[in-house]
Amino acid sequence: MTDFKQERVSELKQEYAKGAISRRDFIRMLTALGVSVSAVGMFSDSALAGEQDKASEPRENYTIVFDPTKCTGCLSCAVACADKFMQEIAPEQAKDSINLEFSRIRPMRFQFVDFVNICQYCELIKWAEGTSQHPCQAVCPTGAIRTVEQGEGKEGYTGMGYMTVDREKCLGIQNCGRCLEVCEEQFGSGISFDPIEGKAQVCTRCGGDPECVKACPEEGALKFMPTLVNGRYYANQPEEAAELLYKKMYNKNRGL
Amino acid sequence: MKERYGFTGKIARIDLGSKSVSTIQPPEEVYRKFLGGWAMGMYFLFKEGLADPKKEALGPENMLQLMVGPVTGIAPNARTAIVTKSPYNFNCVTLCGGQGGSNLKFAGWDGIQIVGKADRPVYLAIIDDEIEIRDAEQYWGMGAEDAEMALRKQVLAPLEISGSTLSKSDMTRRWAKLRPPREQGIGAKRLSSAWVIGPAGENRVWFANMVTEGARAHGRYGSGAVAGSKNLKGIVVRGTKGQKFADKKKFMQVTSKIKKKESKSHFWRSYGTAGISAKESNVLGGYPIRNWQWESWADPKTVKTLSGPFMDRLSFVRKQSCPGCALHCLYPTEVTSKKEFMDKTITDMPDWEAMGMVGGNVGYLETKDMDPGDPYPGDYKDMAENAAKSQYTTRMFDNKGMDFIEGGALLGLLMELRQRDLIGAGDLDGIDISWGDVQSVEAIMEKITQGKGIGKILGKGTYETARHFSSKKGNQEIMYYSMTGKRYAQPAHGTRSNRDRNALEYVTVVRPCEHTGGGSGSFMKDPIDFEGAINGQNSTAAINSMVYCMFAGGFWGDEGNVEVLKAVTGWEDFSKQELLQVGERAYALSRLFNLHTQNIKDPKKEWDSPKMFPARWFEEPLPTGPFKGRAAFDGDISKLFDQALPTYWKKRGWSEDKGIPSRKKLKELGISDIAEEIAAKLRS
Repeated sequence: MTDFKQERVSELKQEYAKGAISRRDFIRMLTALGVSVSAVGMFSDSALAGEQDKASEPRENYTIVFDPTKCTGCLSCAVACADKFMQEIAPEQAKDSINLEFSRIRPMRFQFVDFVNICQYCELIKWAEGTSQHPCQAVCPTGAIRTVEQGEGKEGYTGMGYMTVDREKCLGIQNCGRCLEVCEEQFGSGISFDPIEGKAQVCTRCGGDPECVKACPEEGALKFMPTLVNGRYYANQPEEAAELLYKKMYNKNRGL
Repeated sequence: MKERYGFTGKIARIDLGSKSVSTIQPPEEVYRKFLGGWAMGMYFLFKEGLADPKKEALGPENMLQLMVGPVTGIAPNARTAIVTKSPYNFNCVTLCGGQGGSNLKFAGWDGIQIVGKADRPVYLAIIDDEIEIRDAEQYWGMGAEDAEMALRKQVLAPLEISGSTLSKSDMTRRWAKLRPPREQGIGAKRLSSAWVIGPAGENRVWFANMVTEGARAHGRYGSGAVAGSKNLKGIVVRGTKGQKFADKKKFMQVTSKIKKKESKSHFWRSYGTAGISAKESNVLGGYPIRNWQWESWADPKTVKTLSGPFMDRLSFVRKQSCPGCALHCLYPTEVTSKKEFMDKTITDMPDWEAMGMVGGNVGYLETKDMDPGDPYPGDYKDMAENAAKSQYTTRMFDNKGMDFIEGGALLGLLMELRQRDLIGAGDLDGIDISWGDVQSVEAIMEKITQGKGIGKILGKGTYETARHFSSKKGNQEIMYYSMTGKRYAQPAHGTRSNRDRNALEYVTVVRPCEHTGGGSGSFMKDPIDFEGAINGQNSTAAINSMVYCMFAGGFWGDEGNVEVLKAVTGWEDFSKQELLQVGERAYALSRLFNLHTQNIKDPKKEWDSPKMFPARWFEEPLPTGPFKGRAAFDGDISKLFDQALPTYWKKRGWSEDKGIPSRKKLKELGISDIAEEIAAKLRS
């Protein structure tokens, strides 16, 4: 880098750190200077980059989308997710182990097709179905599944309105299971149960900054992006979805 | 039981005869000595007394072991190893990728051992600690693909399955009216993995294999025949337990570094092993063409038919990886062909071995009436048609559950015998097989799979087939065309140019004639770098005992191997030397096993002898290519067998006359207790 450039970059860095310019402008200006963003080393500092995002970018209507042609089914997403939630739910066990059952995102392999099984945040339609809640939420007898409003919720979550399960209230798979039953019957199969107490688990999108997306080694295979339609249109039972994908990708009916 | 890290400390033993399941808990010392996979599998074969020549591979006393290792699970590049006695009467150590290895570890097992024979077809359903032997009558006869999908449906963890609890009253009134609950309960998740055999395994074709995920196979040495002989259609496993690490933080650090390195690999991430084919023919001169009559096409364009870039544009649909792997070397493929029976076949790429053995080796790449020494007269459409033949054949082998290396060599043999008019169509039940004819290949394969007519003989592999025709015709010349090393097919890496593989490597590997032994570079040096070669072999055997993918070995590196092992197991003082010793143990045990089970008195005459290897390597110089005129060891057989081989044995600490590990060596390796008795017998 030339002296002029270096000076300008450090100026921009300071402004960015102060919050005077947005991340987007910061990157744009760097690009205009012909400096690669990674060379500046700004975004390796996740604390800085992350905090800026949280405040500035609401993530309403964002969802996790996987690209079946790019996903290789390597399970990296599931490992990252499992590790994160184990530390929350079973901190003692998380110290020395990883168990994929804690993961809310599960790639499933159907031979030449990989389907990523994850909650799609389906919503019921009020005028037709009487409520606009999530279906699992609507059938939960104890109100354990709830939506945290945007801007509220856990520390470290960026404020996206997200779904969560109150583990105190959840009756567990041994006694209930209505949430997954309605999900599998009419939508996808987006809920799982943890292997310790058998309580329901649902993807929280990490409150707007999903670990799975960050862990994915294939560019574009797993994306966190806004969608315009109700998540129910993406929800599918794994096996049926796999057959659909097979048909679409290989232009052939497998007939299984 | 003491807390175990990396390992679970348990191996399941299933007797299909008495329908009983028990658990073995090997002491930590055994784990440290053998790790898992190859080495530990061999250890148990010795413990079981299977080196005894009287115990038959396809008899109930044989033991089929499906082993994983300390790093199999969360770590990248997980695999599984099958270790048993091969129908060819030597060791069968064969590895395979896929998600099954991790699943088995998560179920809480370091391996499963299957003995005895079920009185009717069965499959194993493993859900964590619960192992059930279930009836598989309705799956018997199914192809590998269908059988796997059907079996996986049957195995769900308790967390994924439940009766109905939902009723109308749980829903809003309008919703319930619109779509009332069907009361079917829960059970849509599909997280189990399965290994199955195809019809070839059921009919005990010697080179049948166990297949998982449609296109991944424990390919070599006949694991599927052993399963078939036990009436075992498949093994399905679903694990919900996760894996424990001694030092999780370090484990995550080291493995993420490995993953990062992998994600930068241009070679693997572009076309997988399909990326080497053009180089094999045009640069290295090691491509099997028409049963190894050629190893390089005169026209460099010919090979492009089966090259990564061409097949990618033609047919690759996506890519698939094993757990945690960023190399994703498997590319599912959609075949397009003018021939209706091949069109829309879905298979994998083919990978390099298939491109060689059921590509070049059976004459698929040339156009009609073309010789591999001719210029390529065709265009892209011909290339596409020819690629389709290879892809179609790959799918047949996978779905029937057979090894396409041995199978490709067998087809090559039959075609060359027909080319030279040494056999007639009448000898093959009227099937007129010729170079590049995919329909006759299909007909022959059907015969082999069903074990009918000539298929009964062909099902015993290339060498036995050559012997059959040689004695039937009273013509010793036929044996010359059997391209086998130690009675098992030479894989798709030529020896004559000495740029791809050195002939000595095929002679020394203890999994007969394997192409994944390691140390190839050192073998090809002049003079041969014995130390490097032996280290390479030990290191590969160690990787196969840690049970992760050897393709990823370069990304882990020696450092990585030891670091991951330490982090996983907590053996703080584990060293690189100790790891190589695991490989050495695998080598010594496999060597002793192979000699003893075949009752070999003088290995130099009966086993490591020129007559066990193709004379073509030495007698027939390459007709084309950059190494035209070359032969293995410049045609000097005695240089290989009387000079290089004894030197190799000596460097290994094995006797120079027979290649038997010395008493001292066995003691040093700490395996005298299981191996010394047999070694002493062989030494005398």
